[in-house]
Amino acid sequence: MAHDLLLLVPEIAVLLTAVVVLVCEMLRRPRAALSVTVAGLALAALSAIPLLGVESTAFSGTFRVDALSTWACLILLPATALSALLARAELAGEEGEGTVYSLLCFTALGALILAGSGDLMLLVLGVLLSSLGSFALVAHRDDDRATEAAMKYFVFGSVSGGVMIFGVSYWVGATGSTLLAALGGVTGAPPAAALGLVAVVVGLGYKAAVVPFHFWAPDAYDGAPVSVAGFLSVVPKIGAILALAQVVRDLPVGLGWPLVIAAISVLTMTYGNLAALVQRNVVRLLAYSSVAQSGYFLLGVAATGGPLARPSLVVFATAYAAMNLGAFAVVLRTGRDLDAFTGLGRSRPATGAAMVIFLLSLVGIPPLAGFAGKFLLFGAALASHLLWLAIAAILNSVLSLAVYLRIVVPMYRTPDSAPTGRAPNPLASGVWGIALAVTVGLGAAVQLILGRVGP
Amino acid sequence: MNPIVPAVLGPLAAAVAIPLLRRAPAAPALLGAIVALAAGGALAVGIAHGTRAELLLPGLPGLPLRLIATPLTALLSLVVAGVGTLVLIYAVGYMKGDPERVRFFATMSFFIAAMQALVLAGDWISLLAAWELIGLSSYLLIGFWHARPGVGAAALRAFLYTRSADLGLYTAAFLFIAHTGTGVLPSAPLSGPAATLAGLLLLLAAMGKSAQTPLQDWLQRAMAGPTPVSALLHSATLVAAGAILLIRAEPLLTPGARLAVGVVGGVTTVVAGLIALGERDLKRLLAASTSSQYGLMLVAVGAGAPLAALLHLIAHAAIKSSLFLGAGVFQHARGGTGFARLRGAGRAHPRVFLGFTVAGLALAGVPPLSGFFTKDAVIAAALAGRHAPLLAPLALAGTLLTGAYVARALRLLWRGAGEEHRVPGLGWMGAGFAGLAVAAAGLGAAVGPIAAWAGGPLPVASGAGVFGLAAAFAGLALGWFVPGARLLGPLRRAAEGGFALAGGLDFWVARPALALARGCDRLEQALYAGVLGIGRLGLTLARSVRRGDERGIDGLIFALARGARTLGSRARALQTGLVHRELALAAAGAAVLLAALAVGLAGFR
Repeated sequence: MAHDLLLLVPEIAVLLTAVVVLVCEMLRRPRAALSVTVAGLALAALSAIPLLGVESTAFSGTFRVDALSTWACLILLPATALSALLARAELAGEEGEGTVYSLLCFTALGALILAGSGDLMLLVLGVLLSSLGSFALVAHRDDDRATEAAMKYFVFGSVSGGVMIFGVSYWVGATGSTLLAALGGVTGAPPAAALGLVAVVVGLGYKAAVVPFHFWAPDAYDGAPVSVAGFLSVVPKIGAILALAQVVRDLPVGLGWPLVIAAISVLTMTYGNLAALVQRNVVRLLAYSSVAQSGYFLLGVAATGGPLARPSLVVFATAYAAMNLGAFAVVLRTGRDLDAFTGLGRSRPATGAAMVIFLLSLVGIPPLAGFAGKFLLFGAALASHLLWLAIAAILNSVLSLAVYLRIVVPMYRTPDSAPTGRAPNPLASGVWGIALAVTVGLGAAVQLILGRVGP
Repeated sequence: MNPIVPAVLGPLAAAVAIPLLRRAPAAPALLGAIVALAAGGALAVGIAHGTRAELLLPGLPGLPLRLIATPLTALLSLVVAGVGTLVLIYAVGYMKGDPERVRFFATMSFFIAAMQALVLAGDWISLLAAWELIGLSSYLLIGFWHARPGVGAAALRAFLYTRSADLGLYTAAFLFIAHTGTGVLPSAPLSGPAATLAGLLLLLAAMGKSAQTPLQDWLQRAMAGPTPVSALLHSATLVAAGAILLIRAEPLLTPGARLAVGVVGGVTTVVAGLIALGERDLKRLLAASTSSQYGLMLVAVGAGAPLAALLHLIAHAAIKSSLFLGAGVFQHARGGTGFARLRGAGRAHPRVFLGFTVAGLALAGVPPLSGFFTKDAVIAAALAGRHAPLLAPLALAGTLLTGAYVARALRLLWRGAGEEHRVPGLGWMGAGFAGLAVAAAGLGAAVGPIAAWAGGPLPVASGAGVFGLAAAFAGLALGWFVPGARLLGPLRRAAEGGFALAGGLDFWVARPALALARGCDRLEQALYAGVLGIGRLGLTLARSVRRGDERGIDGLIFALARGARTLGSRARALQTGLVHRELALAAAGAAVLLAALAVGLAGFR
């Protein structure tokens, strides 16, 4: 029992942080709430470091402590803390500011549970926990647009969650157990196995914004505060992707899941990139771009079982968290409309250069973090004999260049009117500064991570 | 210290220092290039003494990043640094008074650093990284005057053209790494169909960067950048990268892939030569000529003589950069490079014209200038190679066309007169230009030693010299005496009166050639339209996706809402309809998945 609790220290720390933050908010101390959030999340992340290299389970196999769940703590908790800082930069002084921090923590906890789930019930719990927090976060700005977006997100989430619970029950019926480790026995009843797989893909695919379960994403991101949009595009998404990797790990290959995941992966990245190509609103553009990036993530899921699958997921998750949060931080400072970016490279050279680096990293240009991640993902797909998938992904990354150049090119044009962006905010600048350091440094430090992930 | 470090870090440090210091940006740039040049010299000396420098950096697991000095890579590093230094000296004068000098010199230094990394790369990953970086920096440099109309589009076009072809390099690198299990260059050759496929993919990558038919269009449009950029781009960096890739990868090519390389090179040398003949702008003429000359190098690679290609690459680096630098002086003097402006510009600047003529004649292959020896080697390689009946006539036709367009350009610069502007910074420009022109003239003496250094016998074929010289002189005569300016339309008849002597020749050779040139131009336009069509298809697809995702659904909802209003209901209900619709799409997606799985499982049994 005590040993089980020790393995769960990071998750418990996040839970405690969320509760204390809520208390701070009740006492009307938003600044204290922020400090507690950042400190608590940092402590939680630090407490995950001793777990590196541990391959174990807690509470009779229901929670897995392995490379994926431990690295999820190390990636998602700092990302959540950065999101909280961004939220402060955007929402300081608004009603319910502290609630936002607390909801960020709860949602991150849901993502962590997803990443480590070893049991179908925990999977459902993780989806629900991270979804409930997300709905409330999207609805924070109590206006029509936000309410509409949150409502849509909620309806979508309820239906997908319902489908997931329904389908998963077939798996439980077929194997007689809720443990993921028992999924090997599902082959006895192929129809039940297929139904369960589709249901899990729907539930987790909705969380990760995978085509065709992504429809909520652009509206929700656009309706939510920019900082929340950045958080939603990173933390719950990575949690869901890692959960999918946990599920397929135990599924028999005969079920054909690698092909299903691979097909969705190609569909997702192609659709995301094409849709992003015509957006005028940068937040919507980044929303579709993050849909496309989910497609790249799925490369690593489809390759599960191969030697590179886990390292590639971890490295790309780190890279994606940094570059996407960085890009959202710049959007927070600059504005949602594409026109706001005209001349940014001239009026604010540092911000402009950082944005260019984030976007090039999203394309996957060496030697940035995105390149390291994508390279490993392509390698993982190749190692699992999915050559066509790797080629589709490479073609897509060429296509995505056009998407991101649509932001970059006007940045170095002379603006027609005086720049209208908001006043500089040290918090937002600090966040993109940290994201920039990771984006640039990860390419060099990738060896360091790889040595600590293992196959 | 390992000399590889300063070879790359010298220019890179300059690229970092220039925007920080902001003052006197040319000095750090020159210093960086000279450091790289000295480092290249140190590498060569080291190799002469039997030590091969190597630099290992941690990279991906099992695939460390390597930079190596071999006779070939050290030689290329020297060429890059040498041409880079002289072009930078020239640029000090050329960019005098430009408000954005800081950005210019920083990007140029970065460009040289990236190219040094490319030529010294000892594994596929560093090669890929450097390959991308030179693509990026050339994009920045071609688009340097981005405020001028059309410049941004030209830069984007160059980037997209070369980058789509880069797919070939990515896929080939993956093939090599996947099959040999290591990224080390030179790789072990592959076997079976994968080997030919890899060769063709490398050819694709080289075609994009070296502007080979049918991907040559971007190069001429890339003339929108400053002239020193063109000089560097065409001689030792971006465009050279394609040929360098094939020269280094020549041992990996299968006979089939070699034939493809040779044919692409041969076709390009003729097509681009004809385009050059039909040009009416000096810089664009030189750009087409670049494609044509790299075509000759590919012919040599295809004939199995990478050494001949290497020699022609080095000589061409000196020749083409001096031609561009000369053209830059004329550009400043006449306010443009269109033929109408440049009439007689050579007479006004006799010393520049002398250097331009020397370089031009070297390009045509007139002895004893450098181009004679290297072109001789290429023709000999084509004659002695396996596909001589196919490749040799193409190489000779390319030589003939080279003579023709060089003579045409020289004639234009010599005859007539135009309005002169004062040219500032002529001293610096002259210094860089003179250095390169001397190299263009005298490198011929170094052909033997360089061949011995790179470790291979030069290809020999009886008759190569005779055929080559005959083609070169015939081309020069043709270009000088036949008015290529027939394209000038209303001016044509007036010009015909003065050159009646050449009427017969004109009718039989020049007119069909020009018709062919126009045809090629049209073909190029059509191909260009084709490429655009693909782009448009993508956009249409994207738009229809948006329509499917938003507009179509929105439209439906609005129709629903209108219907609802007539019934007296509230239009507010519209948003639920949207969600329903999208949920239906999601459900359809899930159903398709389920059906696919069911079919798959049935087949599985």
